[in-house]
Amino acid sequence: MVEITQLDSMPKASVRAADGTAAAAALGLDFGSSEQRDDTLVVRIRPDEWYLLGDGAPAMAAGLDLSGFASTVDTSHSRTAVRITGDRAADTLAKLGSADFSDHMTPNGASMGIGIAGVTCDIVRDDQHGVRSYLLLLDGSFVTYFLGVLHDAASEF
Amino acid sequence: MSQRLPAPLGDVIDRSSAISFTWNGTKLQGFEGDTIASALLANGEHILGRSMKYHRPRSVLTADFWDPNTTVQVDDEPNVRASHRKLADGMAVSAQNVWPSLKFDVKAANGLVGRFLTAGFYYKTFMKPAKLWPAYEHVLAKFAPGGAVDLNTPHGRYDKRYAHPDVVVAGGGPSGMAAALAAAAAGSSVILVEHEHQLGGYLLWGSDDDRTAATGLAAACAAAGVEILTNSTVAGRYEDNWISISQRSHPGVIERLIKARAKTLVVAAGTIERPYVFQGNDLPGVMTSGAAQRLIRMYGVKPGTRAVVFTANESGDSAVEALQSAGISIARVVDARSGEGITSASGSKSRVKRVTLSDGTTVECDLLVTAVGWTTPTSLLNMAGDRPVYDADAARFFPAGPPDNVLATGGMVGDGSRDELIAHGQATGELAAGRAAVVRQRIQAATARAAAVDGPELDYPADERTPLDRVRHPELYRSTTHGIVDYSEDVSSKDLFSAAGEGFDSVELIKRFTTATMGPSQGKLETVNTVAVLAEARNETIAEVGTTVWRPPYAPISLGALAGRINEPTRISVLQPWHEANGATPILAGQWVRPEHYGDPAAEVRNTRTNVGVIDVTPLGKLDLQGPDVPKLLSLLYTNKWMALPIGGVRYGLMCAEDGVVLDDGVTARLGEEHYLMTTTSSGAAKIWNWIEMWLQTEHPDWQVHVTPVTTGLTSINIAGPNSRELLGRLTDDIDLDPDAFPYMNVRRGAIAGVENCIAWRIGFTGELSYEIHVPSGHAVHVWEQLLEQGADLGVKAFGLEAQRIMRLEKGHFIVGQDTDGLSKAPVTGLNPLLKLDKDDWAGMPEVAWTMESGDHPVIVACQPDNGSVIPEEAAQILRAGTTEIVGRITSSRMSPTLNRSICLAQVTKEFADPGTSLEVLLISGERITATVQEHHAHFDPEGARLRG
Amino acid sequence: MLLVPCPHCGPMNAGDLTYNGESHRRPDPKTCTPEEWRTYLYLRENPSGWLLENWYCSSGCRKHFKIERHTFTGELRAPVLPGRKPGATQGDMK
Repeated sequence: MVEITQLDSMPKASVRAADGTAAAAALGLDFGSSEQRDDTLVVRIRPDEWYLLGDGAPAMAAGLDLSGFASTVDTSHSRTAVRITGDRAADTLAKLGSADFSDHMTPNGASMGIGIAGVTCDIVRDDQHGVRSYLLLLDGSFVTYFLGVLHDAASEF
Repeated sequence: MSQRLPAPLGDVIDRSSAISFTWNGTKLQGFEGDTIASALLANGEHILGRSMKYHRPRSVLTADFWDPNTTVQVDDEPNVRASHRKLADGMAVSAQNVWPSLKFDVKAANGLVGRFLTAGFYYKTFMKPAKLWPAYEHVLAKFAPGGAVDLNTPHGRYDKRYAHPDVVVAGGGPSGMAAALAAAAAGSSVILVEHEHQLGGYLLWGSDDDRTAATGLAAACAAAGVEILTNSTVAGRYEDNWISISQRSHPGVIERLIKARAKTLVVAAGTIERPYVFQGNDLPGVMTSGAAQRLIRMYGVKPGTRAVVFTANESGDSAVEALQSAGISIARVVDARSGEGITSASGSKSRVKRVTLSDGTTVECDLLVTAVGWTTPTSLLNMAGDRPVYDADAARFFPAGPPDNVLATGGMVGDGSRDELIAHGQATGELAAGRAAVVRQRIQAATARAAAVDGPELDYPADERTPLDRVRHPELYRSTTHGIVDYSEDVSSKDLFSAAGEGFDSVELIKRFTTATMGPSQGKLETVNTVAVLAEARNETIAEVGTTVWRPPYAPISLGALAGRINEPTRISVLQPWHEANGATPILAGQWVRPEHYGDPAAEVRNTRTNVGVIDVTPLGKLDLQGPDVPKLLSLLYTNKWMALPIGGVRYGLMCAEDGVVLDDGVTARLGEEHYLMTTTSSGAAKIWNWIEMWLQTEHPDWQVHVTPVTTGLTSINIAGPNSRELLGRLTDDIDLDPDAFPYMNVRRGAIAGVENCIAWRIGFTGELSYEIHVPSGHAVHVWEQLLEQGADLGVKAFGLEAQRIMRLEKGHFIVGQDTDGLSKAPVTGLNPLLKLDKDDWAGMPEVAWTMESGDHPVIVACQPDNGSVIPEEAAQILRAGTTEIVGRITSSRMSPTLNRSICLAQVTKEFADPGTSLEVLLISGERITATVQEHHAHFDPEGARLRG
Repeated sequence: MLLVPCPHCGPMNAGDLTYNGESHRRPDPKTCTPEEWRTYLYLRENPSGWLLENWYCSSGCRKHFKIERHTFTGELRAPVLPGRKPGATQGDMK
């Protein structure tokens, strides 16, 4: 059983910050990991880039000290979030992308960028109440195509 | 007449479940579990096809996946392997490669003239003269093998998935099953792949104990969590154990391709029984010992009534037992181990009738079973770099030693009893698991996102397996007569001898010249016989001749499976549903589905030029640039100057690749002190993002610039036409649209239709007064609808891509990739004032400088056909008058609704670029027309009065 | 498909990266001769042996990196960046 939902209105921000900046220190985390902080999921999606996802994202982004080489962009309208939840969620993604979604390679909290069905996605393993779940962030213009492919891939489960 | 044997023979068929099918239109019955071939044989249908070249009648030879001459048509599917494909209810099966019928084949006359159809016949005969090839092709096509393709066949459903197992085991015989079981028991995730329909390998047609052991091992594998893929083939092994698996057994799809990154690959492909080369070896009724046993023990089919068995090994001895159990009389056992042999078989066209032995005696029979030895299918090991070595004592090739992450086991590496093979498989599985665990730990430790590695660092286990023995086996390849070596390609040993006589000395060349080993069994049956015959012909040893290198795929794989599910990403703007609901014809431009027009592009042009139009230009690439060094970046990537662009300013720029060729163009606006918005062409968005990252990271890592794509986040709407200022003014109080406050090539930010954070700039692609607004996409539908609602009395209408393309052509604006190509260096555009050679550096600058210096380049010009009703095709050639010398080409052409005549852009050599020059244009029809070079690129309003208004 | 050790992400399928070819130095565009520039544009060493190559982790970390690859054996020497987990060598991945 796999559940696929599009999270239309989730506020999103991207923060770029070089090593040693106040923003980088404030956001922390290892590259490839994520952490829920109040109502914001903070993801270190690249060595020098964090995603702030959720209702608290705009305030968190606005509150960052951007001194040094740091900047933020509101990506709420650029990127769409799609959540895929269920025991077979990893099997569904494994039909569309080459990453290893097993627990030891992609544990809960892990994040990565990878192509899924030909669309570059940022993926966060973000289990929901103990059920395997992935948050996929992709360019919003692909979402009609993407949901179609995802539902098709999940249909066997 | 039924050839079905009574139970308990026929392990894999279910006699309680009958299946109806037709064979060449005749209704027949088989059982669940039958292959098409076993069902046909059970019904007494003996001839299943005709050979490719000589159209000789053929029957079952191996009764498994590799059976070379039992390809049939099933419904609309050609080239089905009848000895492998399971029978299904309602199948319409027919013979292929027969005309007009299976029993009377006109083309069998080829057999009479067989001596003319020797190796290389087609190459030599039909090469010259080349102009006759179409005629040859027409005739030859009728003689080509293969079934009929139904062009109305619906698209099949294929699938793909990725996997990351610790261990992949190729081959589900005793060793493979034992390896899979041991690896799973050691904690590995395991995929076990078997190309037949059930696990067991040779145990399935062996003794009662063998069959019991097979069932037990298969059940244990399933219980241990091994992922078992039957009717599936490991098709290839690539770098770093990237394994392709063709799975024909996944429900709901025809075939599925699995791409697996295995940490260890275990190859347990077993051995394949070789046919024997002698005169008459392709007569129906001649088969391998494995085939006889499979037919009797697995399918309960009686392959004949009176048999001669030529045996050199246990498999032949076991076949004798199987034949006896089926009530077949044994006319003679010819034992190669005691020096006996056979020289030829003969009979009617449809059946063997007698066998001649080496001592000259003949024996009557209707079945000849041969057991002459084994081929080691080392394909997967070859793909891993292994080059097998021939062992004359054992009469087969063995692996030389594959890399550490590939382990071979079972019959491929030696001989042994069932228990010995299982023990070797088990040791191999343990070793595979041990090595996989180390690789898994290292990959996990090196992967940023992976879980922390717990436990101590593992040691890479050494190979301490006890090797299997090699049993002596006589070298039996060819008798004293000539026979078929490659059944699917109809290549005989005589062909190989004559090819060797012609001087072909390499097995790789012989293979290509004669096509031996190139058929659907990919050499599994034929390679070693080919090598042996060649060795004999050249008076060399088999080891000296060596073998061909087996490449992927291990077995044929359908093109559908390789294509997989069709994933062709398309993109739409948030306005696309509105466009389609309002009559837009969609067009795919790159990945974007866009409105081409809303019914009448010419009317859209006229309305925009007269009133005001709005177009969705969201696909325009948009990059948010922030940081103190953005001006340096812009100066580096664009050909013109950027250090002094004021806040609120917009500038056009041209980008070149390092070879000076035009890469992209667009405008960039300065929104704030260290904040810019760059636009690129729609197709260039991703490319330019990567281009920028490459320059920043590799050449100027000290520059502080952050780049973020915002193409989709900002929905872009161009409002163009004389009424555009009035229209936009009705939607914003925030932005002062007064021409003095907001002149051409400027940018402002503010609220539009109540939506905060919009960006508006004045540019003029269409040549009209126009504002391009960029709206946060979540609110774009509202803004778009407000524009149409508030502008109703101003005559506002949406226009599509085609109208925009017409208007830009009227204005003479070139499009990168349309009016330029991969050879068009920047000076071709004529934008020489933008090519600033006094800057320190910009991408492509040296080439542009040298090109300008030499002056040797074509240029883009506007031209108009003298007959304004003719529209030359885009890409129509421009010729020097009266000659065939090409001096340019039309790059864009349209009928202008504004000027009511055809208009063009063209690339021509400099000699033809002066205004007033007459060009001769060759239309695709062959007609030549004349066109005149215009003074300006713009066919309309060259002074630009309209857009600056 | 090669497993390429991205210095940031870890081992990645080569197909998820962008291959940018042999690493070469860009001449000074102000002073270079046409020969030097065209050597930079078009001429490659293409050795049978170790080659320093440019790769771009285009779907992962979006970082460019260089790696040595043996063009005959396919072996890769992993780049190790200061302050990062040491990447395992390609040989170790096999």
